[in-house]
Amino acid sequence: MSAQETPVKRINHGESPILSFENVSKRYGTLQALDQVTLTVNRGEVVCLIGPSGSGKSTALRCANALETLDSGRVLFEGKEVRADDNRNARQVRRRMGMVFQNFELFPHLTVLKNVTIGLTTVLKLDEAAADKRALTLLAKVGLSDKASAHAANLSGGQQQRVAIARALAMEPALMLFDEPTSALDPETIGEVLSVMKALADEGMTMVVVTHEMDFARRVGNWVVVFDKGRVIEQGPPRQIFEAATVPRTREFLNHLGWHGESKIEPAREPKQ
Amino acid sequence: MTFDWSVIWTNLPRFAEGAWMTVWLAVVTMALAIPGGLILAFLRMSPFKVVSFAAATFVEFFRATPLILQIYWAYYVLPAYFDMQFSQLTTAILGLTCNISSFNSETFRAGILSIRKGQWNAGKAIGMSDVQIMWHIVLPQAVMRVLPALATTWVSLFKDTSLVSIISVSDLSYVSLKIRSETYRILEVLTAMAVIYWLMGYPQAKIVDWIHRHYKVVE
Amino acid sequence: MAIDLSPFANSWPFLLKAVALTVFISAMSMLLGFVLGVVVGALRTYGGRFFDIVLGFYVDTMRSIPLLVILIWIYFAFPLVIGASVDVTSAAIVGLGLHLGAYMAETIRAGLTSVRRGQMAAALALGMSHTQAIRTIILPQALIRMLPSLGSLFVFAIKDSAIASVIAVPELLRQTQVVAGNTYRPFELYTAAMIVYFLLCFPVARGVDWIYRRVAHLGSS
Repeated sequence: MSAQETPVKRINHGESPILSFENVSKRYGTLQALDQVTLTVNRGEVVCLIGPSGSGKSTALRCANALETLDSGRVLFEGKEVRADDNRNARQVRRRMGMVFQNFELFPHLTVLKNVTIGLTTVLKLDEAAADKRALTLLAKVGLSDKASAHAANLSGGQQQRVAIARALAMEPALMLFDEPTSALDPETIGEVLSVMKALADEGMTMVVVTHEMDFARRVGNWVVVFDKGRVIEQGPPRQIFEAATVPRTREFLNHLGWHGESKIEPAREPKQ
Repeated sequence: MTFDWSVIWTNLPRFAEGAWMTVWLAVVTMALAIPGGLILAFLRMSPFKVVSFAAATFVEFFRATPLILQIYWAYYVLPAYFDMQFSQLTTAILGLTCNISSFNSETFRAGILSIRKGQWNAGKAIGMSDVQIMWHIVLPQAVMRVLPALATTWVSLFKDTSLVSIISVSDLSYVSLKIRSETYRILEVLTAMAVIYWLMGYPQAKIVDWIHRHYKVVE
Repeated sequence: MAIDLSPFANSWPFLLKAVALTVFISAMSMLLGFVLGVVVGALRTYGGRFFDIVLGFYVDTMRSIPLLVILIWIYFAFPLVIGASVDVTSAAIVGLGLHLGAYMAETIRAGLTSVRRGQMAAALALGMSHTQAIRTIILPQALIRMLPSLGSLFVFAIKDSAIASVIAVPELLRQTQVVAGNTYRPFELYTAAMIVYFLLCFPVARGVDWIYRRVAHLGSS
């Protein structure tokens, strides 16, 4: 089976992409972190960025969220150029995007509830009561209503990451960015985070996910982008990438990962009869 | 108003003598306060409750009361009530040494306690004696950790020597204040005093920063 | 040697007022030092090269000149520069605060830089401005982490207020000298002053440690 025989069908509601990279390059000293990267994300898609460590996936996310300035090329979000060097523009962009970090980055001096409301009260200027209400709904959604008054230090890694997802969702973003959300987790808590992400995808949230969880990329992703040494070496629907990669380096990477299709996503609980 | 800076140049030798006394006081005090601090640290870690309590009380007391008051106390109280006659210089060194020893003792104690037990076990595991472990493993690591704190204390000490001027020890500040009252060139003399302290203290502050960067503990 | 407590019978209201002034001067210089410390520490960390160099000069200057010299200069020399006299208590508070502020700034700068970079990224990702992120996310963590150091600086503020006696601020040490001189009982008076300073400083040191043990986990991201 080849890419020609199964024409690539991406989710596209006839609109322009919500996020696009046009020949984006970024260099740190002598390291070419991104090299002429071009990719698009349509509304409703789950785009997974995969590739070896240091291949530029996380840098791409940081560029999308205006956390890095570009050396050349441009990033467009909702039709407007993302400019990290323009504070107003950067804040506007970040307000519309949620970002989840590898190390959770919960704010340790705040309770779980305050972690979720702080963006609402400081950035969106919601009053305390409205913010609390929205935060509690989201904590329920990630299954952590009972931890509202706990501090980050008292939560497991998986719980912390679910709070971080709730914190990002609270801003009602148009796009969610996940930067290796399960890489810092103990194996037994990875599943609970992936399940929350899958549920989010099922609701139609547009997501860009940097991940080493190939099972997630294959089953939840609609589009997979393979990075190597700062370049996009291949992209396509999951089936093509995982079963019929055309670029040898992609196959090498997948083999090296020892990917063998084991599912870590917890099955949704069956409703009681 | 007119300024007359010539007063500084004519009195330069006296400023220099005062500055020399300031340096001398700091050096002598530190030379005494390092062994003093080590002794207090070991006493405070003593298994005998009475000894460790006495050492702790001494240290906490000197750390929690003003040095300037300690100097007054040594100057007015010791001779009058305990029949001890010291020169002003001796009193000054005594006061400074007790104070700095107390700070140093906490530095040393923290340095020694910071070496993990695992280091002792590792030493024993390769067949070293306790003395060898102390000498080859624990002390070198402790020194690295203690040095930055000692350097910081040194700069405070250097500045604190100015407080002995209140009991007429002729350090830089005492000499300066004396020149001021002789010449009435208040602004000129006081500014010169501050500048001389700055010239001596500024490089020291920079060296302390360097030591802190250089000996940063990485674990 | 007989201990004579009679000086206290006559002078305790006088000395009590002096204790109150010591507390007032210490508290005001802590406040001034803290505000300076936060502003200078934050500007040196986030304000770019210009602020770092200029404010670094202020900090290192305060670290290299004795407090006694700073107080004497502000009270006796500064009025000649501006051509107006300076209230002695204000001079003491400004001198103590400027000196303390430099040390506070160094402490707070160390705290700010110790907070993981990801915390800033996470705050910015929520759409916060740099100022909001520093104020609501980074600074609170820095202050919690630096609490033990800030506590010892508070203790220094109390102890250093005694140096204001050299410019005749009627605080505890100065008034103790006055009563000791009038009554010829230096032992009783200086010892009493020593105890009072200890009672002011020791609880502050221990109190801060106590608080720190309870909040330390809130500062570790």
